[in-house]
Amino acid sequence: MNSRPDPNESENPMNTPDLKVDALVVGGGIAGMQSALDLADQGYRVALVEKEASIGGKMIMLSKVFPTLDCCSCITTPKMSAVAHHDNITLLTTCDVQALHTNGNGGYTAKVQQNPRYIDADACTGCRQCEYVCPIDLPASYDLDMGATRAIRVPFSTAVPQKAIIDIEHCLLCGKCEKACPTDAVDFSQQPFTFNIETNAVVLATGFQTTPTDAKREYGGGKLLNVIDALSMERLLAPTGPYGHILRPSDGKEPESIAYVQCAGSRDQSLGVPYCSRVCCMYAIKQAMLLSGALPMADITIYYMDIRTFGKGYEQFYQNAKAMGIEFVHGKVARIDEDSEHNPVIRVETIENGRIAERTHDLVVLSVGMLPGENLGPIFDVQPADDGFAAIPDPTLSPSATGHPGVFVTGTASGPMDIVDSIIMAGAAAAQAAAYLETMRSSVAAGPTAIPEVAHV
Amino acid sequence: MSTRIEPQLLEDLKAYGKVDVEACFNCGNCTAICPLSENDATFPRRMIRMAQVGLRDDLLSSKELWLCYYCGECTDTCPRQAAPGEFMAAARGYAISHYDSLGLGKLLHRRPFWAVVFMIILGIVLAGFMYTRHGTMPYDTLGLFEFIPAELIHNIGVTAMVFVALAGLWGLVNMLRHEVQRSGLRLGVRYNWWQALIDTIFREVLGQKRYREDCDRDPDAPPWYLKKWFIHASTMWGFLGLLAATSLDFATALLGIKETGAWVPIYSPIRLLGTISGLFLIYGTTVSIIKRLTKADRSTEYSTVDDWAFLIMMWLSGMTGFAVEVAIYLPPPQMWAYWMLLVHIVIAMEMLLLIPFTKFAHIFYRTMALYLHALKPIPEKTPEPVPAGTD
Repeated sequence: MNSRPDPNESENPMNTPDLKVDALVVGGGIAGMQSALDLADQGYRVALVEKEASIGGKMIMLSKVFPTLDCCSCITTPKMSAVAHHDNITLLTTCDVQALHTNGNGGYTAKVQQNPRYIDADACTGCRQCEYVCPIDLPASYDLDMGATRAIRVPFSTAVPQKAIIDIEHCLLCGKCEKACPTDAVDFSQQPFTFNIETNAVVLATGFQTTPTDAKREYGGGKLLNVIDALSMERLLAPTGPYGHILRPSDGKEPESIAYVQCAGSRDQSLGVPYCSRVCCMYAIKQAMLLSGALPMADITIYYMDIRTFGKGYEQFYQNAKAMGIEFVHGKVARIDEDSEHNPVIRVETIENGRIAERTHDLVVLSVGMLPGENLGPIFDVQPADDGFAAIPDPTLSPSATGHPGVFVTGTASGPMDIVDSIIMAGAAAAQAAAYLETMRSSVAAGPTAIPEVAHV
Repeated sequence: MSTRIEPQLLEDLKAYGKVDVEACFNCGNCTAICPLSENDATFPRRMIRMAQVGLRDDLLSSKELWLCYYCGECTDTCPRQAAPGEFMAAARGYAISHYDSLGLGKLLHRRPFWAVVFMIILGIVLAGFMYTRHGTMPYDTLGLFEFIPAELIHNIGVTAMVFVALAGLWGLVNMLRHEVQRSGLRLGVRYNWWQALIDTIFREVLGQKRYREDCDRDPDAPPWYLKKWFIHASTMWGFLGLLAATSLDFATALLGIKETGAWVPIYSPIRLLGTISGLFLIYGTTVSIIKRLTKADRSTEYSTVDDWAFLIMMWLSGMTGFAVEVAIYLPPPQMWAYWMLLVHIVIAMEMLLLIPFTKFAHIFYRTMALYLHALKPIPEKTPEPVPAGTD
């Protein structure tokens, strides 16, 4: 029990022994990966649990990051690899934490279920022969249903680990993949597997979800073909995207006029979301810039209530976008309809002159906001605050502490934030977790009686 | 002309309804979602802005206040849940009170308790006045107008009508003082005076065109008899029909064709008009009352004394009138009908007298606003076609 299991072994549920680690990180997005790396680099043993088949979270789906316009794949993939190959990190994908109990010594025991890949992960080399022979074509969930994928697949080109997984819901059990697999890795007999992880600290990095496109009835309730959300536009813009072009859904045309509708899910109490999601202004500006490159002749308009570009280099980014000719229109879009050619028609009061404008675009992108991801209440006893994100008792001085000793929350699980802030906060959570681990270690070494009495002055 | 700022305006408006527009961050959602808002009449944000910065005269002279039918779309979708629709309703109450120079409107709107006391006292006074002049109560036949002389009713009615007309005119003058200036109506320019009047009366007021076609796009699409425009139209048609029936009956009496109170068959034209109109009125007000009681939608979630007084008086006058009619066609004698008639006349008179000071006054101001909105200069030459739907 004391020896750290071989990280390669951890991919095989049948061989995974119960683990004992210093810190358990829940969630393999950018915040979770950064926290895991920061702890592991300090010599702590870390288990990183991810429910999907690959780590990378939302960030690996993105095209480029603001305000530097670095390629997202190029900076996320090395982090993912670093996590997978770190000697101190045990990576556990397709895993859900089902329960967390205190073990009485200041530490915790997590009950984790590993869901089957139906692949012997040790044997799989990620060669994708299975994927090529699979007869089932499915919308690619990684590309938000825009491209196509197979029922057996490596989740995406830069997935970590590079192991196949079978979408058993859609699999016909025809066995073609089994025959094609050069290492006999396909195993339809796998079952969910439950095991325990003993840990002293827990870092929750369960992330966020985006506002559903059907949230607002006035925006077509998700039924307008050429109204997409910004995450879909990220996939369209990404070098690894589904089409390699910017195409609109209804007819595959390259849009000549693209509109961004800001605050489509944020600062909108009619949806019960009073807060600002903090990323939408910047990602819309970023996407507008990238679109200006991809479609140089396209007109791009951003309809906004306020532009909030508050980070380092962000305001300059906004000014650059204006200088590039991206049109910014002050006014909250009230309604989106479509004409007979499925061109979205936007109705807005332009605040500058108090007039009502009805403008037709080829494609409308909803700058959807950040909604809370997992409810951390039932399993981790970290209750949601009024905004639905994890409640933090002392957000000013201790932004990662949950109120349970040794349990920390980081990244967008704690509230809307961008990648920069997620990484900063991941470091903060790792530092607080490390401090907690050190206190535990010294108190165990000294024994309970040796705690010095504090003088009352 | 200098601009007058009333810093107290927003606070003042709060006495007229559930005003919460401090929350408004002027995003413009309400204006753009409004099916009635158009470029020569944008609302509600413009009105809210006026209230926020204290432009009292501009607010009072806004025809846009009266173009709103309160469908509730702006309130439903307001990102700040600042209830722009409720604000518009309160601002209309404020305007009614300020177009009126007697101060009665202010009392009725701002002092709910005293408003109720006042209405009860007025009712008692009217009832007492009529009772002191009552005649006999025949037992063998239902001689309603022997109990309360027809002449008395006619005289009070005519006096009340004259009073209401004068008060209404006075309010309209107050409304127009600013609005005409602001809307840029000029002498020496030809306007579509008559066309606008005909459109306003027949298409908008009687036909409820904007309410019907634009403002009642309820996504849940209730059956036609529960649509907002129909309930409103039913009430209004009922009221106007009864007004017409009463006036015609009075006219036939004046011309000596038929004495008021003389028995007529139920299918005689004026009686038929009154009966059908009464049914419409009862239907419209009953549904409205149920909607307010159950807070059926955004526009009925919050009710003022003004809202209730208006509805209850109309409903009661409809019901009592109907009861009297039933008594007329039942075999005599229905002794309760004498008292029912008294109650009916008191409520109807009181309602009539209060028209210029309550929500009912919209009958003047909305008509005028719709007329002003329909007024367009007649161009000298053929205009170039303007493409529809563009900015």
